[in-house]
Amino acid sequence: MQNAHTTPALAAGTQPKGFAHTPSATAEALEHRAAQNQPAFIGYMPYGFPSAQTSIDALRVMVQHGVDIVEIGLPYSDPVMDGPVIQRAALSAIEAGERIRCVFDAVEAVAAAGAVPLVMSYWNLIFHYGVNAFARDFAAAGGKGLITPDLIPEEAGAWFEASERFGLDRIFLVSPDSTDQRLQAVSQASRGFVYAASRMGVTGERTTLSSSPQQLVERTRKAGADHVCVGIGVSTPEQGATVGAYADGVIVGSALVHTMLNAIGGDTQQVNACLDALGAKTAQLAEGIHHARKA
Amino acid sequence: MSVLDTLVAGAQEDRQQRESVLSFAQLQRQVNALTTTPRNAYQWLKSDQSVPIIAEIKRASPSKGFLSAIEDPAALATQYASGGASAISVLTESRVFLGSFDDLDAVRAAVDIPVLNKDFITTPYQILEARLHGADLVLLIVAALDDKQLRELLDFTHQYGMYALVETHSQEEIDRAVRAGAKIIGINARNLTNLDVDTNTVRALLEHIPQDVVKVAESGVFGAVELEAYARAGADAVLVGEGVATAEQPELAVQRLVQAGNKVKLSQARPLSTHEGPYFGPYGGRMVPEALIGALDELERVYKEAKQDPDFMQELHELNRRYVGRPSQLTEAPRFAERISERVGGNIRVFLKREDLNHTGAHKINNALGQALLVKRMGKTRVIAETGAGQHGVATATVCALLGLKCRIYMGQIDARRQALNVARMRLLGAEVVEVTQGTRILKDAINEALRDWVTNVADTHYLLGTVAGPHPFPSMVRDFQKIIGEEACKQLHEYGVDHPDGVVACVGGGSNAIGVMNAFLDDTRVHLYGYEAGGYGPEDGRHAIRLTPGTGQVGTFQGAWSYLLENEEGQTLDTYSISAGLDYASVGPEHAWLHDIGRVNYDYATDTEAMQAFKDLCETEGIIPAIESSHALAGATKAAQDLLQQGIENPVLLVNVSGRGDKDVATAGKWFGYLTDEQSAALEANGAHGNATA
Repeated sequence: MQNAHTTPALAAGTQPKGFAHTPSATAEALEHRAAQNQPAFIGYMPYGFPSAQTSIDALRVMVQHGVDIVEIGLPYSDPVMDGPVIQRAALSAIEAGERIRCVFDAVEAVAAAGAVPLVMSYWNLIFHYGVNAFARDFAAAGGKGLITPDLIPEEAGAWFEASERFGLDRIFLVSPDSTDQRLQAVSQASRGFVYAASRMGVTGERTTLSSSPQQLVERTRKAGADHVCVGIGVSTPEQGATVGAYADGVIVGSALVHTMLNAIGGDTQQVNACLDALGAKTAQLAEGIHHARKA
Repeated sequence: MSVLDTLVAGAQEDRQQRESVLSFAQLQRQVNALTTTPRNAYQWLKSDQSVPIIAEIKRASPSKGFLSAIEDPAALATQYASGGASAISVLTESRVFLGSFDDLDAVRAAVDIPVLNKDFITTPYQILEARLHGADLVLLIVAALDDKQLRELLDFTHQYGMYALVETHSQEEIDRAVRAGAKIIGINARNLTNLDVDTNTVRALLEHIPQDVVKVAESGVFGAVELEAYARAGADAVLVGEGVATAEQPELAVQRLVQAGNKVKLSQARPLSTHEGPYFGPYGGRMVPEALIGALDELERVYKEAKQDPDFMQELHELNRRYVGRPSQLTEAPRFAERISERVGGNIRVFLKREDLNHTGAHKINNALGQALLVKRMGKTRVIAETGAGQHGVATATVCALLGLKCRIYMGQIDARRQALNVARMRLLGAEVVEVTQGTRILKDAINEALRDWVTNVADTHYLLGTVAGPHPFPSMVRDFQKIIGEEACKQLHEYGVDHPDGVVACVGGGSNAIGVMNAFLDDTRVHLYGYEAGGYGPEDGRHAIRLTPGTGQVGTFQGAWSYLLENEEGQTLDTYSISAGLDYASVGPEHAWLHDIGRVNYDYATDTEAMQAFKDLCETEGIIPAIESSHALAGATKAAQDLLQQGIENPVLLVNVSGRGDKDVATAGKWFGYLTDEQSAALEANGAHGNATA
């Protein structure tokens, strides 16, 4: 039998970790808001932009001003799902010497500030770090799940395994033209919530949103998803309120990142002004999102 | 006493207890009276198309202690079976593993697939018990038995129509199992220091087991990662315990393992020349946003239909003939061959496949035309494409003009400036050219921007990818449109009275011309295949686009596929460099990555200097001006000739693919060789005519 030949190494407790069987922290945060008839506010900010320290300050500001779940972006050289604002932020972070192993500082800071830390990353970065190693270090820092914009469930074998071992949430995406079959596959594979893209396209602010996200949320729920959050293109409190009326959570990225662009290469005063602007923008969005369902 | 000794002793005490109630003879009579015959576990566990899963009902183990209560083993077994398990393993050892014959009875009644009885079996009595309780397969642990016992128990098992899973954990035990006549051997060969599956160790152990024996990986399989590692190392089947028994959704956990196994088997399918994606060995796949899956599915479906449609193939054939000018010529190059022969000290014959003579001057049109016909078939109206040097952009703009499709070409700003003439050419053909100012402003950034456009406009837009890279189905489909190169060359060589070339040589950027010329020869082992990457200033310098030489590229995922890529210590894509913009790419097509790993193609590189020397050689000896990309293949011809001579092949015949013509490179070459005055060069520089001027 495979475990009969117990060696000292095994006896010393170095057996690989089994399934964590911990409940989804992201789902709990969504349910906590839902209990008050409110959608959750999910805010995105790339780590290391414009510098490691300022990005951690920015994440803290976001939590202080009403973000429930934080999507910490890992800057990548080739972000195909991102529009110009986030591309620019990511590039500036890389140029400023951002290091992946330091993202765990940001994860700790978000957890300490009382929000749920998620990381959004293109898959090559996680693969290069080591999927299991990343899951281990991320979980140890208080991380709760990954949003993976270029990983579909069929390619996620290693991630299923690591996420089950460390009790992490798997947030896959769906888009308005996803077939019902795809919605089912993604819903079944996801843990925490399903990320519904409000429209076909990349991240970025938009003045108007189409009505398709509501249909997508309904279809995704019907396909078996417990929680569905909407992102891509949501940039104003009004849009947040519209989307929050039917989605479990509202994801805002570019609009928040936008407030920090002037901090690139800026002096302390400029950085502080950006952080103030970020706080104000976050608070407005939180007001709109959290009161979405109170007519 | 070792753990194993203790477990065996305990099992024997329990067995004696049972035997005192039911004697061997009585038990044997009951077994002989059975009306059912065992299921053929061997057949269930040996498959060409899948990696069969033995899923285990497991409550506890000595090393991990209590795992799961499993109050209803029949229900769990049913879930395993509906997840696609090929056999269920049931532990009947009660002292440590908390199993029982009740478990075995319950599972037997619940499923119709083979059931393995796992216990510490050292006597025939236990084998009869297993059979009585409906087992089709029993466990025999080599470490617990001497040779005579092992052989007798194995024979006894076979006599009763069952098979034994013979568990081993070293080369010596494997040899003993084979000698004893085991038909199914389990390997317990985890690296005990870090508990990883060490594929090299496993492969070495499995290699010596006869082909007809089923090899079962038994240890440390938790999920898809270990399953894939074992399967690629040569395991036929895997046994999984904790990974399924303690999963929140056991059926889903088994299903994922089955799918991972199917994927491995599919990815290794032969023959090479007709191998279909999504996977080429561990490479390829669809590493893209979910938003593109619908479009990729549609493309795959429409392409499959088109391939079977004689009208589609006829239209492609006619356009290839009347518009592109196919077949392209095969030209013998005796004076060029003479230069190589002098250098390597042998008698070399060289044939050039003249893709430079195609309309638009390169092989790129083969693929652009094929895909553009598919665009019409899909009813899409808009085409986007990336281009580096401009060759693929020009080919795409050309076919869009021919077929009346709206066309937008993305080109990195740096490339657009150094290929100003090609930008003008595309605009003349009616295409919109977008200079990409994001990122590092070269080919990869143009691809990123094309992907962003596609994600946004996928409903009416087709992304006409120019090489055998990107997400499935592009690598397979682009190969199919390019393989005509090698197929024609094969016939044309016969016309010269040459049965087969000894070496086929091509340059490799993304790799479409190389795949195109090599495909027809992939399964002919007499033909040696050589691919040359862009060496730039050489690997030590860092300014190059070599992905497949040790110490350069690493395995990862980039722009839609798993492959080798140039990345820094953080996993960020590295900048690449080559004098030829068309080879200047950070990754390489997944089929090349696989052909590299399995040793079918020899990959090497040619530096800028070597390529430019070969460029000049061909101009002077044959009156053919090749593209600088193709000049890397021409430079490689000397290296390939050397290699063939070293392998003892006399008077080797080389087929070299001249993938494109060099008109676009005249300014670069003129400057390189000093044929332009400083003044002229400066004037051309101002117009962006130098290929290597990175303005």
